Amino acid sequence: MENCDIAVLLVDDDEMIRECVTAYLEDEGFSVHVAASGEVGLEMMLSLRPAVCISDLRLTGMSGEEFIVKAHALNPTTGFLLHTGMIYSLSDKLYAIGMTDEDVLLKPIHDLARLVSKVRNSAAAGGPL
Amino acid sequence: MLSKSIDICCKSEPNYRMLVENSCDIMFQMDTEGSFTFVSSAWKTVLGHDLGDVVGHSLREFVHQEDISRCESSMLAAIRSGSAQEVTARVQHVGGSWRWHAVRGAPYVDGDGVVTLIGIAHDVTEQLRIEEVMAQTEKMIMVSGLAAGMAHEINNPLGAILQHAQNIERRVSADIPANLKAAAEVGVDLALVHAYLQRRGVFDFIGHIRSAGMRASDIISNMLKFSRRSDAGAEKVDLPALLDRVLELAGTDYDMKKKYNYSRIVLQREYATDLPPVQIVVAELEQVLMNILKNAAQAIATTALERQPIITVRTRLLDGMVAIEVEDNGPGMDEATRLRVFEPFFTTKEVGVGTGLGLSVAYAIVTKGHRGVIEVRSRPGVGSCFTVKLPPQGERNGKL
Repeated sequence: MENCDIAVLLVDDDEMIRECVTAYLEDEGFSVHVAASGEVGLEMMLSLRPAVCISDLRLTGMSGEEFIVKAHALNPTTGFLLHTGMIYSLSDKLYAIGMTDEDVLLKPIHDLARLVSKVRNSAAAGGPL
Repeated sequence: MLSKSIDICCKSEPNYRMLVENSCDIMFQMDTEGSFTFVSSAWKTVLGHDLGDVVGHSLREFVHQEDISRCESSMLAAIRSGSAQEVTARVQHVGGSWRWHAVRGAPYVDGDGVVTLIGIAHDVTEQLRIEEVMAQTEKMIMVSGLAAGMAHEINNPLGAILQHAQNIERRVSADIPANLKAAAEVGVDLALVHAYLQRRGVFDFIGHIRSAGMRASDIISNMLKFSRRSDAGAEKVDLPALLDRVLELAGTDYDMKKKYNYSRIVLQREYATDLPPVQIVVAELEQVLMNILKNAAQAIATTALERQPIITVRTRLLDGMVAIEVEDNGPGMDEATRLRVFEPFFTTKEVGVGTGLGLSVAYAIVTKGHRGVIEVRSRPGVGSCFTVKLPPQGERNGKL
């Protein structure tokens, strides 16, 4: 799968993070869409049906965890990555939808190439679009 | 009426004697110069001296130098005011250690008008220790919460710094088609732009931004450990093997080798053989011990000691817990420093030498991750001893 075929939804309430991650992923050819909250992210899920969704944990409004559970229900083929600044152990709800500890990325990611390989793996595991 | 009172008094004297002799607290009588004229047998139980070695001797021989003037002022106040006075002071055990006592003494004038002081001394060492631990815990919870909260808030801007630096590097790369397209649109040669930035050291500056960001990020990730509560990865271990490994590992550490001259320190091992097993996260406990060892080696290295530096690593059963002690004969620390060693960012080292996080990370790992206790005792000029106490396996209360 080429990167340009992979739609990524990035949910983060920090504009700086949205900007820098988007710039990197776009340079890698991904089709990147952003949402500043879980609520907006959920609205975009159905129309966008992203291959991969990267979500912050502490969001304004619904939490990243709640967003992922709801977003997964809307589109079960989307792969999810948690991008968080807190040391965090996945909850049982997130394990239940197939996430693993490997899907948690601690901020700050020193080298965004790591995020790219995670996104590609996640997209490959999620099956065809 | 009078004869009845005397009768009761005579009968009750053996009772009083029994009370005095059976009390866990020390009862004493002393003259106005501070020499003991009587001490109850509790002295022997609490402080270990034979009573004959106390009676006839001055309190100055037993009370800590720093506390003597306080005791004497209280004695004087009691005599002058005719009322009971209280004072808390350290009294030396026959073995050399100090025991804190809360003392209450009152003047007594006998039929001949001779004034003496009669008092009672209660050993409060353990009570004070518990109070200190509680105050320390409370302070650490507060500071740690602050540190962890701050760490989280810093991670986003730090991420932006690190990642935008990376984005800048990539936006002048000829490998990305969009760069070539934009360069062509504005009429510049990307290869020349690249060469210019290279020549003026701009890429080095960007590299420095990234490495500084990573350094800050390492500090933050240590701070975040304060909020860590997971006991994931805990396993039953053989402590002596782990301790040997850490002692060996310390020898390969750059700072230990080059700055602290670790190889000239004599390492003594005193491992108890019959300890119950402990369940620990190996990498975390290694970090705790490494931080303590580094602290000891650093203290030894930065002080001119006229003795062979020694670090003793000891294991034993203490208060029902498995204790690991790391004792050094370095410069030791004063009480004000000792009380603050586990605070995040508290350091006695020069700026840039230590972040002041090593021992606070150790504190967080031991107390939060392992439900253990970490303490330090120290005597300036003599050395320090860090004790890590871990609950024996089977006493952990499920997930932490």
